[in-house]
Amino acid sequence: MHSGDTALSKSRIYFMAALIVAVFSVYLIHLFNLQVVNEEFYQKRATQVTQRSIPIYAQRGEIFDRNYDTPIVSNIDSFAIDIIPGEVPDGERDSLYRRLAEYLGGSADDIKRRIPLSYADLYQPVEIKSGITLETITYLAEHLEDFPGVTWRNKPIRNYVEKETLAHVLGYVGDITREELQVLYNKGYSYGSVLGKSGIEKQYDLLLRGQDGKEFRTVDVRGRKVGEALVSEEPPVLGNNIVLTIDRHIQSLCEKALGQRIGTVLVTKPATGEILALVSYPSFDPNLFYDTSNTEAFRQLSLNTQFPFLNRAIQSQYVPASAYKIIMTTAIVEEEVIPLNKTILCPGYFNYGDRVFRCHKHSGHGHLALFGALAESCDVYYYTMGAEYLGIERIVDFSRRFGLGEPTGIDIPGESAGILPSPGWKSKIYNDRWQGGDTVNMSIGQGFLAVTPIQMANAVSMIVNEGTVYKPHLLKEVRDPVTGDVIEEIEPEVLSTSTIRPSTFQAVQRAMRQVITEGTARVVLTTNATTVAGKTGTGEIGIDNHWHSWFVAYAPFDSANPDDRIVLVVLVEAVNEWEWWAPKAANIILHGIFSRMNYDEVRANLHTWYLRAESQGER
Amino acid sequence: MRSKSIFGFDLLLFIATLTLVSIGIAFIFSSGITSTGIIYSREYIKQIIWAITGIALLILFASIDYALMRRWSLRIYLGFAALLFATLFAGNVVNGAKSWLGVWELGIQPSEFCKLATILYLAHILDKYSSQIKDLRYFILFFGIALIPVGLILMQPDLGTAAVYIPVALSMLFIAGARTRHILFIILTGFLLVFLTMLPPYEIYLAKRTIPAMSLLTDKTLAAYLIAAVGFICALALTGYFLIKKTYFYWLAFFSMILTLALAGSFVFRGALKEYQIMRLIVFLDPNVDPRGAGWNIIQSVTAVGSGGLWGKGFLKGTQSHYRYIPQQSTDFIFSILSEEWGFAGVTLVFALFLIIIIRGIFIIRTTKDGFAAIASTGIIMMIFFHFAVNVGMAISLMPVTGIPLFFLSYGGSSLWSVLISIGLLMSFYLRRFKI
Repeated sequence: MHSGDTALSKSRIYFMAALIVAVFSVYLIHLFNLQVVNEEFYQKRATQVTQRSIPIYAQRGEIFDRNYDTPIVSNIDSFAIDIIPGEVPDGERDSLYRRLAEYLGGSADDIKRRIPLSYADLYQPVEIKSGITLETITYLAEHLEDFPGVTWRNKPIRNYVEKETLAHVLGYVGDITREELQVLYNKGYSYGSVLGKSGIEKQYDLLLRGQDGKEFRTVDVRGRKVGEALVSEEPPVLGNNIVLTIDRHIQSLCEKALGQRIGTVLVTKPATGEILALVSYPSFDPNLFYDTSNTEAFRQLSLNTQFPFLNRAIQSQYVPASAYKIIMTTAIVEEEVIPLNKTILCPGYFNYGDRVFRCHKHSGHGHLALFGALAESCDVYYYTMGAEYLGIERIVDFSRRFGLGEPTGIDIPGESAGILPSPGWKSKIYNDRWQGGDTVNMSIGQGFLAVTPIQMANAVSMIVNEGTVYKPHLLKEVRDPVTGDVIEEIEPEVLSTSTIRPSTFQAVQRAMRQVITEGTARVVLTTNATTVAGKTGTGEIGIDNHWHSWFVAYAPFDSANPDDRIVLVVLVEAVNEWEWWAPKAANIILHGIFSRMNYDEVRANLHTWYLRAESQGER
Repeated sequence: MRSKSIFGFDLLLFIATLTLVSIGIAFIFSSGITSTGIIYSREYIKQIIWAITGIALLILFASIDYALMRRWSLRIYLGFAALLFATLFAGNVVNGAKSWLGVWELGIQPSEFCKLATILYLAHILDKYSSQIKDLRYFILFFGIALIPVGLILMQPDLGTAAVYIPVALSMLFIAGARTRHILFIILTGFLLVFLTMLPPYEIYLAKRTIPAMSLLTDKTLAAYLIAAVGFICALALTGYFLIKKTYFYWLAFFSMILTLALAGSFVFRGALKEYQIMRLIVFLDPNVDPRGAGWNIIQSVTAVGSGGLWGKGFLKGTQSHYRYIPQQSTDFIFSILSEEWGFAGVTLVFALFLIIIIRGIFIIRTTKDGFAAIASTGIIMMIFFHFAVNVGMAISLMPVTGIPLFFLSYGGSSLWSVLISIGLLMSFYLRRFKI
């Protein structure tokens, strides 16, 4: 360290001090000018009437399905009630709140809480309730003298036309919260903004919301309007309309085919990644949320043990069970670990180390080659392949190529990644070594493996497209709200391409076709409207005699035009009564789509034993 | 000026600090009350708690030997840089900037404390390598120490807080004996950069006519040619200087490099700055461009200040503030309330108190025998001064709106604590001024 006098230049220190004093002097002179010389000018300005802006909220864009004929989300006229705190006489506040609560519902305390204390003397309106009907407004208008300081204005509310249909896709809107405003500050949002809280409404909020306008009125210092004259107006810009990839006819068919069973249905177009239908049951009615004071509905829904807010198609993770065998089959064919016609004996069980793994058919399938094994969903064949021919590294590698363990990037928020286990994963999460038994389990899609239904749809798409997967998406077009012109059209985006040989995928396609023609699904896939290729799955989750029921498929099998093909994923959770419903629902859906029938027509047309049985126990 | 010290304790500095903090609490209280006396904000209670704990910190830092802080300065600096880095990922967003790091209700703004940490480390390095300071390479290195936190804060993004570092670092380099031309280089580049950045928006919002020469800045190809041409001149001049060592080559290189950097930088800046940031600078030049939007704050604040008059409207009696015309009254615009309610008299008092603190700081720089203490004091008083100049300047429309707090007065735990710790350090420097 230095010793003695610092070697700092005195003149530099004085220069700095002079600079500081100079700035202080300039400021002080400026302030003297403002406050003493020009005091009157500013005092006049402070008490003078000024202009205040009042936002004119932009109408939110409408949402259409791909048919673009009638909106599935629109806006309906409605009113919001405001209180101008400064106009309410001091002693009358509590009684006013009580009277208002009587007509509007809710409690006087709720209303009181909505008015910030700092606004108590101001003439700035504070919204206390929205979604008010014309009748209520009429009543208020007729009894205006009982409601000092109460005004109203037009505030359209969001109308989800089909209520519970598509709730998970569309999401809902609500008033901006303080926390949201902190994040979205400087992005065109303000207090009183309405914004999307989930689903499409949230994802494409900026497209839908438009731009709020402003109207300027002359007010005095306390915000009281002076005269009625509008000074000027910046008109709002309407939000864009958006068109979804969803086909509401297919959506409705899928909803009815699933019925009141907890589960999910996905229909996608593998050639583009467009989602034609997305059902998640149970659902909720987004219309319940426009009224922010109606927190009871929200509370009940969030406490519901069946989790109606959960979008099961993208947020829930399930064991893929035998549906996973399509990925195993791809790996077996591509890696040429066994000739396709070589058989393996299934005695009904598989010994591995000191453990015995059972086949679902306890009496055994006898001798089976690959195609037969997939068709019969023979577990022993796949145990053998996984544990003795492929090994865990290759199984994990192929699963990764199929996109397991990664979100698909679908354009609504909240997607899960699923779980793709591996020896490294197990040692990290469980601090435990990967056992051979883990490989055996994973070979039939059990164990630690967890997938989302949208991931399974992508896996099937990869087989259909022979290697290419398009990013699943729900937005089809953005359209001008007035002219209806297409502003933006969403192009298919390649999510991944695979180096697996096309001939491998073609073999897997034939094997999946055989599942329908000769295998496990033969008895239920009775539709003659199209040719189906698919795979069933029955997931063990530890409930006796109850299983997750999977069905993944595509159709038509024999079409030359890739645009015709659709991919279908149905999952019915094990908590439902066990009725092996996934392939049955798939049969109804595929028949309906390819013979252009609605659910009721399918029921009349498709004479199957389970539909008749079902109609007896009518829901 | 002789110090009125009792046992070497700088009483004048301490009293000025306490008075300013008390005035701050009074006006935070005023900002949270309506004209009929309804208290709607408890911010003043929190501020009292921070003030008491902050004073305790002040006394603590005054009593420990600052040599300890110096020994730890690198670790403190790196620690806060790491916290800034963590804020980018784990921080909470407040007013559009991800600047808060916290658990539960408690949170700190690492960028506030990092200013002090940077000052301490820079002072340590500048003192240690004081003989090399005239060397350009060392100058760049020293300046780089300040630029690391600037970069991290810009990413939050918090332009105002980041901008404070530059003048503070430059004044420390200046006092430590850096070459004037090196410092001038940075100042000129900075001013030219802002000027060139603002020219095209100026054309759109203020001049309202097309200025043909402007396409040199806005057209991508033309701008690229221009930058290449100036850069080429700079390269030529540098080569010339190294070959024949003529002074005129030196100055040609000096100015052409400033121009190149400012041109290229302004191009990057216009792309990176958000619309609202540009508008803040535009309304600084003329608030009436957007009187209901970005210009609103300035017009309302100046009206509040001016209407205060000589003696003010009286404590708790301001109209502009209590009818909520002034935004962010307890933080960014606390000076507007003070000016409205206490008038020019109150303003003069606050100016005097700030001046006492700064002059005591300069006195410490002059009397201490330790280079580190002198340079660190420079950083601290310049930090306080720049916050003062920018914040007060903003309230009276002599500076653009940046949202940095007025030390001692503004509501906020992080800024209050960091400035009280700074004062504690100044006292520690003063107490131990004859040591070594």
